[in-house]
Amino acid sequence: MSGQSSLLKIESLEKSYGPVLALKNANFEVLSGEIHALLGANGAGKSTLVKILTGVISGNSGSISLNGKPVGFSSPDDARKNGIAPVFQDPALIPDLSIQRNLALTGTDEKRFITELSAMGLNVNLNEVAVNIELPLLRMIDLARALSHDPELLILDEITAALPVDLAEKVISIMNSQKNKGKSVIFISHRLAEIEEICDRATVLRDGINVDTFAASRGSEERIVAAMLGDKNKVSNKLSDSKKIDRSNSVFLEAKSISAGKYLKDLSFQIRKGEVLGVAALEGQGQDLLFEILAGESKLETGEIFVNNKKVTLNHPRDAISMGISYVPGDRKSALMPQRSIRENLALTRFRGISKWGMINTKSEENQVDDAISSLQIDTRAKSQVKRLSGGNQQKVTIGRWVTTGFDLLLCFDPTRGIDVGTKQQIYDLIRKFADQGKSVLLFTSELREIQMVCDRAIVIYEGKVQADLSIDLCSEENLMNAAHGILVAK
Amino acid sequence: MNVIQLKRQSWNLAIILLALVLGIWRISQLPQFGAYEARTFVLGILPIALLSMGQAIIIIGGGINLAIGAEAVLINCLSARYMQDTTFTESVVLAIVFILVGMLIGALIGWIIAVSGIADIVVTLATSFLLVGVAMYVMPQPGGGVNQQFADLVSGKVPNFIPPLIWLILPIILIWIPLYRSKLGISMYAIGSSKEAAFLSGVNVKLTKIKLYAIGGLFAGLSGLVLTGITLSSSPFANISNTATLNSVAGAVLGGVALSGGVGGLVGPALAALILFFIPTILLAYGIDPAYSQIITGALTIFVVLFGGLLRKRTAGKK
Repeated sequence: MSGQSSLLKIESLEKSYGPVLALKNANFEVLSGEIHALLGANGAGKSTLVKILTGVISGNSGSISLNGKPVGFSSPDDARKNGIAPVFQDPALIPDLSIQRNLALTGTDEKRFITELSAMGLNVNLNEVAVNIELPLLRMIDLARALSHDPELLILDEITAALPVDLAEKVISIMNSQKNKGKSVIFISHRLAEIEEICDRATVLRDGINVDTFAASRGSEERIVAAMLGDKNKVSNKLSDSKKIDRSNSVFLEAKSISAGKYLKDLSFQIRKGEVLGVAALEGQGQDLLFEILAGESKLETGEIFVNNKKVTLNHPRDAISMGISYVPGDRKSALMPQRSIRENLALTRFRGISKWGMINTKSEENQVDDAISSLQIDTRAKSQVKRLSGGNQQKVTIGRWVTTGFDLLLCFDPTRGIDVGTKQQIYDLIRKFADQGKSVLLFTSELREIQMVCDRAIVIYEGKVQADLSIDLCSEENLMNAAHGILVAK
Repeated sequence: MNVIQLKRQSWNLAIILLALVLGIWRISQLPQFGAYEARTFVLGILPIALLSMGQAIIIIGGGINLAIGAEAVLINCLSARYMQDTTFTESVVLAIVFILVGMLIGALIGWIIAVSGIADIVVTLATSFLLVGVAMYVMPQPGGGVNQQFADLVSGKVPNFIPPLIWLILPIILIWIPLYRSKLGISMYAIGSSKEAAFLSGVNVKLTKIKLYAIGGLFAGLSGLVLTGITLSSSPFANISNTATLNSVAGAVLGGVALSGGVGGLVGPALAALILFFIPTILLAYGIDPAYSQIITGALTIFVVLFGGLLRKRTAGKK
């Protein structure tokens, strides 16, 4: 690492939003030709730091220097001209504009863009409007656009979250090739395995201060987690003991050769009572459609679904809810009423059931909601408006509303996406608790490690079919990955 | 021209079709159809078509201008007062000055919105009262006049329908097409579609907003001048400005501009003005009460908003 010059240096940066201090005395240095991980639990100040670096907001005090020269960015355009290009979790492409006009907006050279995109093995119709393009591809387009500007410093903010494995690998190879060209990358991710694998150094932020900077390597996970959490509860990656207990064998739901849309073809599986069944798949294998079918949001074309050995038709979400099937969608924002309180959000699905009788027992509602808040450990400091909660707490609210209603099968689609390690653990614990109560959980996660941490069994979907049905001891990341790529797993 | 572009043009095609059907219907009601009748059509739609185009630009940029009718009424009053008893040259010079005044008023409104951060609808509603007040100060009574040569330049000597047609098409060629292709045009769609993504893409959101309101003011100025050229007078009434404003919104919406911003063009609103003109005239020819034509126009607008919403949902749902 010696001999590398300093590209970006941030010294005692401070930023407050009213009385809330988001960054206090943050120091951060990125060398040229390095991949530097920026880590921290939700609310640690990562996004504030990135916003300052990309010219979205400016700091209150402190200094930023680029190549030894002091700088301050007045706008994202200004930052881009100085060689800093960010790619965010939500692509900064204009939804209603075609890709071509999006490129024109940022003054991006079309030929260069196409070269960058085809180097990733991807292509896109430049006349297609951004809103019609799937999120994973859109992120890669945003990345290709950033690369077309030859950035000295590429900032990737949670870009691999919910990205299918094959695309995430492409992102990683791009980071490495930037590094080989002597350019730098700031990489923000909740996936610790990725960080250990590809980053040179890591800086951990906690409560707006940089608490630790060290060389990242295999095994730094514990140090990262310790630095992120401080003295707070340590996270264990171990399976809870209850998990090893044999579950009852009665089947709650069975899907028999269901087909729908472009992807699902002749897919069958069973989920037992008291079981957490993991679903693993690369992006675009129809897993989202499968969840929507089970939730009654989409219809299946052929095949049958049985609940408690009785054939059912799920034409509407209320059909699914009346069968005891509850759905926690991947997009938290679509499930919540952002301006309303935690209490109202939690009670929303209760009203639906109770208003049939015409009366709401407010006392019992209050008790149930209070129970849900405490059992979910929701941070209630910002309880008056759900939109002010952190992503993790919002996710707990979407799960929590079903706790107050009651359910037999919970469909969780990527519930820990973009959530910090501590909250992740709480959500895993919650899911395990449901299973202990004899309820079933179907869990899709884009982070394969989670399956071994929380599930009893996993199915892997490949080309519309169940490619593998693995007991938990066979759910190593390697096995899951192989199956997700269509490779048979030796049992 | 590929499938995607074709799909995007489908709204315009539908509007053209509807305008054609109504047009043929209307023509079949007339004992004869010649240059004179064509001139009546074009003059009937020109002021509202121009206003709809100005409104469309602002709505595409994510705003809405409830003062656009008042801007047009003010320019109408200013021009009818000061262009009375002038030579042709003086009139043309004054016309240019008044168009610039329209732009300036628009830019001021845009500046207030951009700087204060108050919602467009609130600022423009307040401004509309103010502008009508100023118009009444300029012309306390209906009246005024204009140089006849200038009036002929705008509306054509009977039965010449070419000049008004030129004034309808010229803004599309000289303003809309260059705007659509420029950085400002892309920025207009960008801030209307997603302010945040536009900002991250390097768009100066506030400046873009001010420029769009200025262009809206330019169209309002043109509309006011055309009104003076056609009617040879002015009327400083709030109900005229209100009706004009609401018609401009209806025209923009019928013309395929999404009220949520980021979607639409200017050809649609221009054609939609034709539809808004034909409906009452066709019904009137049947001796039907004009009130019913209002009902039909209203129902059509609701239908279009619903249909447009569904269409957008379906494309967005493909994600």
